[in-house]
Amino acid sequence: MTTRLRGAVASTASVVACASILAACGSSSQNGSAGGNAETKPVAGQKKGGALKVQSAEGFAHLDPGSSYFQLDYEVVYAVHRPLYSFKPEDPANPVPDLAAAAPQVSADDKTVTVKIRSGVRYSPPVDREVTSADVKYAIERGFNPNVANGYAPSYFGAIEGADKAKGGPISGIQTPDDTTIVFKLTKPFAATMAGALTLPLSAPVPKDYIESKKLDEKSPSGYDSDPTKQAFTGPYVIAKYAAGKSLSLARNSNWDPKTDYRPAYLDAVTWTVGADPNVAGRQILTGTHQVNGDTPAAPIVKLGATKRKDQISFTPLGNRYVSLNTKLAPFDDVNVRKAAIAATDRVAMQLTRGGPIAGQIATHFLAPGAPGFEEAGGAKGPGADFLANPRGDMKVAAKYLKLAGHASGKFSGPPITMIGDNADPAAKAAQVTLQNLKNLGFKVKFRSVSHETVHTKYCDVPAQKVQVCADVGWLPDFPDGYAWLYPTFNGAAIQPENNVNWSQFNDPKVNAAMDRAQAETQPAARAKAWGEVDRMITEQAAAIPFLWDNVPNIQSKDVQGVIARWNAAYDLSFTSLK
Amino acid sequence: MDISREGSFELPALVDPDAALVARSPLSLFWRRLRRDRVALAALGFIVALLVVAIAAPLVVKVVGAPPPDQQSTAALDQFGSPTGPSGAHLFGVDQLGRDVFSRVIYGARVSLEVAFVSTGIAVVVGTAMGMAAGFYRGWVDTILSRLMDVLLAFPILLLGIGLASACALGNGCLGGLIKPGLTTVIFVIALATWPYIARIIRGQVLSLRERDFIEAARSLGASNGRIMARHILPNLVAPIIVYTTLIVPTNILFEAALSFLGVGVQPPQASWGQMIADATSIFDTAWWYMVFPGVALVLTVLAFNLVGDGLQDALNPRKDAT
Amino acid sequence: MARYIARRVAWMVVLLLVVSAVTFLIFYSLPSADPATLRAGRTASPQLVQQIREHLGLDRPIYTQYWLYMKQVVLHFDFGFSYQNSAPVRQQIVDRLPATLSLTAGAVVIWLAVGLPVGILSALRRRRLSDRLAMGASLVAISAPVYWLGLISLYLFASDIGRFPVFPGAGSYRPLTDDPGKWLGSLVLPWLVLAASFAAFYARLLRANLLETMGEDYIRTARAKGLPERQVVLNHGVRAAITPVVTVLGLDIGILLGGAILTERVFNIPGIGRLAYDAIQHSDLPVIQGTVLFGAFFIVFANLVVDVVYAFLDPRVRYA
Repeated sequence: MTTRLRGAVASTASVVACASILAACGSSSQNGSAGGNAETKPVAGQKKGGALKVQSAEGFAHLDPGSSYFQLDYEVVYAVHRPLYSFKPEDPANPVPDLAAAAPQVSADDKTVTVKIRSGVRYSPPVDREVTSADVKYAIERGFNPNVANGYAPSYFGAIEGADKAKGGPISGIQTPDDTTIVFKLTKPFAATMAGALTLPLSAPVPKDYIESKKLDEKSPSGYDSDPTKQAFTGPYVIAKYAAGKSLSLARNSNWDPKTDYRPAYLDAVTWTVGADPNVAGRQILTGTHQVNGDTPAAPIVKLGATKRKDQISFTPLGNRYVSLNTKLAPFDDVNVRKAAIAATDRVAMQLTRGGPIAGQIATHFLAPGAPGFEEAGGAKGPGADFLANPRGDMKVAAKYLKLAGHASGKFSGPPITMIGDNADPAAKAAQVTLQNLKNLGFKVKFRSVSHETVHTKYCDVPAQKVQVCADVGWLPDFPDGYAWLYPTFNGAAIQPENNVNWSQFNDPKVNAAMDRAQAETQPAARAKAWGEVDRMITEQAAAIPFLWDNVPNIQSKDVQGVIARWNAAYDLSFTSLK
Repeated sequence: MDISREGSFELPALVDPDAALVARSPLSLFWRRLRRDRVALAALGFIVALLVVAIAAPLVVKVVGAPPPDQQSTAALDQFGSPTGPSGAHLFGVDQLGRDVFSRVIYGARVSLEVAFVSTGIAVVVGTAMGMAAGFYRGWVDTILSRLMDVLLAFPILLLGIGLASACALGNGCLGGLIKPGLTTVIFVIALATWPYIARIIRGQVLSLRERDFIEAARSLGASNGRIMARHILPNLVAPIIVYTTLIVPTNILFEAALSFLGVGVQPPQASWGQMIADATSIFDTAWWYMVFPGVALVLTVLAFNLVGDGLQDALNPRKDAT
Repeated sequence: MARYIARRVAWMVVLLLVVSAVTFLIFYSLPSADPATLRAGRTASPQLVQQIREHLGLDRPIYTQYWLYMKQVVLHFDFGFSYQNSAPVRQQIVDRLPATLSLTAGAVVIWLAVGLPVGILSALRRRRLSDRLAMGASLVAISAPVYWLGLISLYLFASDIGRFPVFPGAGSYRPLTDDPGKWLGSLVLPWLVLAASFAAFYARLLRANLLETMGEDYIRTARAKGLPERQVVLNHGVRAAITPVVTVLGLDIGILLGGAILTERVFNIPGIGRLAYDAIQHSDLPVIQGTVLFGAFFIVFANLVVDVVYAFLDPRVRYA
């Protein structure tokens, strides 16, 4: 489960769904906009060798596979570590065995997962030894250590026997009968879902003997995170140098055996510069050599690429964006007021704050194109509600709903509401458009523009703060399934006092029940249909104002054969090569 | 700290107590000398005009035919959401939301002047009071106040300002809601950072004034401390206070702009010159108008205040240039 | 003298303690984001956040937290770890120091090389056209905010976006040890922009001091002795008038070493100021605390050096 940060820049990225409709995922031209046409799939005859330069504005947050969770971090972590399963760059729907030797075996009662791991995978120096199943067991166990501070371990691995009380020590439900087998015993039928989460970096092996001899996990933050060059790597690359907030470099892992891996690892080295000015870096990448972007390029650069250098820019769909309306508090506890707010929203203006049509399609519901259930929820046209009919907003419809809510004049006449917005662009601009839309409707708004961290850790993720509107939130699911898209964000049971991501605090018994039914579906088609139906219900209940299905732009120098990892909407360093 | 330079901030030790004392009615003399300084007068005229424009901003915008400062217009953006430059409809072009830069610059003058005047006013009142207390009573009062000033002057003030401003931008603000987010916070931060400089200067002045014969005389006649300060010391500080105020106003305009530039000043959608320049930094190579116009307004305003301050200095201290 | 210095050093330590305590109070009691959540990650369960709160000692009284923090700083010179990227704060400051040092050093050289001659010449040609022009220009330079001047200079002269592409633009900084040529090129614009208002300020300061000094009796005596005016000014006048300039110079260097936030931000130079700014943007308390303390140290230290040097130079200063 993941939340979207400033732009997709620091986004907690994750697995993007492209399940059933691969065509929609394959190219960005689906949006009918002036997109890019850089070839970003692996091609035949890619050249080996050379060094790639990556530039990003933001720095890395956590490079420890135990706590890594952001898009930027994933770009590096998946090149230096091997989780049990991972995604080939062109196929974000179907995980492939990585450290694992074959697909996971899920027991009939949905309570046991058995995974065979590959032999012949060795750690980088100085550890050097071969990876065993015990290393995977330890990796997941340390996810529960507060010094490692993994955020998702309880959500996806909390059902393992003994995990509920785990604080970093051994977990009885993870067993290793031999060096190449690992068995997870669960307390409830959750095995199929948990198997999906084995694509997360927490399942990458960590050598216990090494961690303990160096006492890396004994303080907060773990030494594995504060100095990532000390890690024991299993991927094709190692983190050779790291200066937090400044730079990072990758070199080849001398102990990596290509015969055990599907990654081609063409590049000899990667040097990554952090703190780049997005405008300057973008220009350097487009006009220079051997370079790609690490996080979202600046809007002027995207415009430049989309108009003048189409063969150097590509767009990858990723996640959704919306404005949350607090359904627990007046006035948005009234569905008619919510519908009015949606109807009054100029979604074209919202889209323009992010760069216009190239930034993504205007959303009409929550599941994004390519997500299982997208078509069933209404496709690009949406479920057909009148309050979402006009992308420019429709004040007549808004007035109609406000009258239904008891505001006879068709303008909102209640007390002031509180709205929180990000102070960094482009989210800051979206907040101001939202502010204007609400004011047009007669709302008096107490608006606070604060830093992104403040928006979330102080306000929007904390229900007790009683924020009525969060101006720009978004969601990227952890794995390609309706559950990962909609359960955390719109299920009443998912509301929590801190780090809450059901920002609208939407808790509708009918929707909750529909989610339970959808989750129980095992056939992909039926499951997609059921989740599509859930999305339709959420949209019709006006739980939030959907405004965009993102397209993430990526740019490369002319001499780079860039390969985009579609699940992460960023360059795959293990597949990209120089021309 | 002098924000304009990112460097140290020293108020010139320009005020010769003798010079102030020579003139029995310093203010009229002041004015007579200032009137001869054409540049300073022109600058003063500019400031007055700016004040009028700021106060009558809605009218000015209407007369020019520009849309109000917060009116967004997607029509003025291209298909990528990039703003368009100066045209008949938008004299100074528009920003990324299609808002009219001309009317935002005009309304920005309000913020700049309001913040600068109010924060300077507070700083001058507090600084004068503290400085007089320290210089007049000396002893432990002086020790405590001087140490307090030392501490404040030891801070990297811009960092402290950003920190306070971002902390006070939360909820109901700082000090139990007294310091509200937005302009109030900015004013508070600037006043807090500025008063020690004034207090230090005033303290020095008072230390020298209190040894004068006429103070001795007043004391021997049985005047109370309060009366001596109000009747004999304060009047002699009026001229220097005016000069220092004029010198601090432009610094504080720049301070507000710097805080807004760093993203902790006014709350959107309110327009401020610094915030506009900050907003323009990501697109200034293509949307030059968004950077240039607020910047020019800022420089001209600060320059005008500096010119007047210069003129006042000369008027107060005629000896300096006549050597 | 030794006792004077000892006392000043002791006061400096007290000042730093107070500054650190006040910073702690402001940033920890009025944090703009929840530190435990930041450290735990935005996705962590409330239970994990609570565990981390306990681990970091954030549930303890603020004075205990301050005591523990200062203990680490004093005993181990350890400033803690960033909430944002887990890296040690001390390491990050050390990493950023060369850029800030480079920026400061070059700017100081330029502003002295420009400001001092202009100040002296203006004083010598008082009220002539060249003096008026120089003083007018200096007033403009003082009135222009450094970040705006920076943007304008980039718009005009940056090699990537400039109308007259001459110098490397924003984000081109390379460490001196990597490539001295690129280091020099990348810093030309930042140096000029940062130095502009300083040069103007110093020119005005020196001119004013010089004019004042020239009215002193000993200058009149020197003149009466028939010494050439130029010699009177340079040998006697400047020597006396330069002392206040040196004082201000010390303080300015102290402040700049703590990070020129605005200049570093506009030119995207990875210095201390940029680090502090980013930390505040991300509510990264340990880094904020570290950089504020670091900046305060240089300010206080510069004050100390200036006072001590002043005491050496000017025997009239009492050590009381």
